[in-house]
Amino acid sequence: AAKLRDACPARSAAAGSDRPWQRLSDGAPRSSAAEPSSLTDRSFLDVPFPSSREATIALRSLSPDREPRRGGISKQLSVSGSTLSVRWSADEARILRVSVNSFLDHLSLVVETMEDFGPPVDL
Amino acid sequence: MTVVIGFEGSANKIGVGIISDGEVLSNPRRTYITPPGFMPSDTARHHRAVILTVLKEALEQAGLKPADIDCVAYTKGPGMGAPLVTVAIVARTVAQLWGKPLLGVNHCIGHIEMGRLITKSNNPTVLYVSGGNTQVIAYLERRYRIFGETIDIAVGNCLDRFARVIKISNDPSPGYNIEQMAKKGTRYVELPYTVKGMDVSFSGILSFIEETVFAMLVETTERAMAHCGSQEVLIVGGVGCNQRLQEMMGVMCKERGAKLFATDERFCIDNGAMIAQAGWEMFRTGRVTELEDSWITQRYRTDEVEVTWRD
Repeated sequence: AAKLRDACPARSAAAGSDRPWQRLSDGAPRSSAAEPSSLTDRSFLDVPFPSSREATIALRSLSPDREPRRGGISKQLSVSGSTLSVRWSADEARILRVSVNSFLDHLSLVVETMEDFGPPVDL
Repeated sequence: MTVVIGFEGSANKIGVGIISDGEVLSNPRRTYITPPGFMPSDTARHHRAVILTVLKEALEQAGLKPADIDCVAYTKGPGMGAPLVTVAIVARTVAQLWGKPLLGVNHCIGHIEMGRLITKSNNPTVLYVSGGNTQVIAYLERRYRIFGETIDIAVGNCLDRFARVIKISNDPSPGYNIEQMAKKGTRYVELPYTVKGMDVSFSGILSFIEETVFAMLVETTERAMAHCGSQEVLIVGGVGCNQRLQEMMGVMCKERGAKLFATDERFCIDNGAMIAQAGWEMFRTGRVTELEDSWITQRYRTDEVEVTWRD
């Protein structure tokens, strides 16, 4: 909740809301037309998995490929406990949106694959 | 016994195949057909929708469980980015779920190794012709050397675009329909024939007929054979299904006392088993791909791979 507040002060009211397990924050809302969006320099997604092992599998499946678009977007994936975290940095909302949409498609493919072919074998 | 599963989806076909010591245990495939042509993101969406079903079919038809698999091979490239990523993601995930090593395979080498397996040719000069690739390849000292290639578009791409211009259906594929119509043709129209040494060019002759473009390919293949002293020709890639091409190549081979090899549509068109076969060859020489290095790439030349499994 604290992280959400830092990223978008104007949304602190929403921070304590009902969906602690997954938040997509895209920074300050567009409160005035004249103000440029400060937004897209920090956006993040936290995705819980049933175990740390599965979060790591997702990480290793989703991280190797480069963003198709070379400039204006970068993302960082990491695992903490059994949560996969993704952080984006983008120059424009449009570029961010494309990357996030694509990531969510790929993430759901990983999750579906795990549902059909998991759980992971004992090593 | 070494069992390898292969995932292929670099263009509009999505296939998963399983090979065990030279035997194809299963090779299901789906083709995304849409007029007028297929776009990367739509193709990726199609693959995403069916890949897990095709994977299950591959295992069921082979009568195997994941534990029976020794290695997970997938297409690293070349091809269209979005579909390549979709397939690689599933391959990486199942490799980790099943605790098996991963192996990134060059798509063109997949075609070559499948051709060699099925035809049992020894050391052929290879003509690789498909929608995305046109290369004349010869094996020499641990590399599949590209002797000649298209300097612009692939021959299959040329045929597909021609079909689009004259509004021929692309079901099951534009090339197949061109071939059926060409069988009924009687008049030969002379068009620009562009061979530059070992290379060919197709973009200037988009309104072409099979005779001309195939003759160009036969010429460059013959030139590579002469350079290498080769007595075998292997045709791989989707365009390799074309019987007229095989016929013309056969005439040239007969004149030289050489043997012609080709496979049927199960294996010359993109499929999962060919990736499994190339993966099987690579895996047996100890190659694996670490997850961090398993990124896909739209450009991946056939001669970038060290062919450790041949002398």
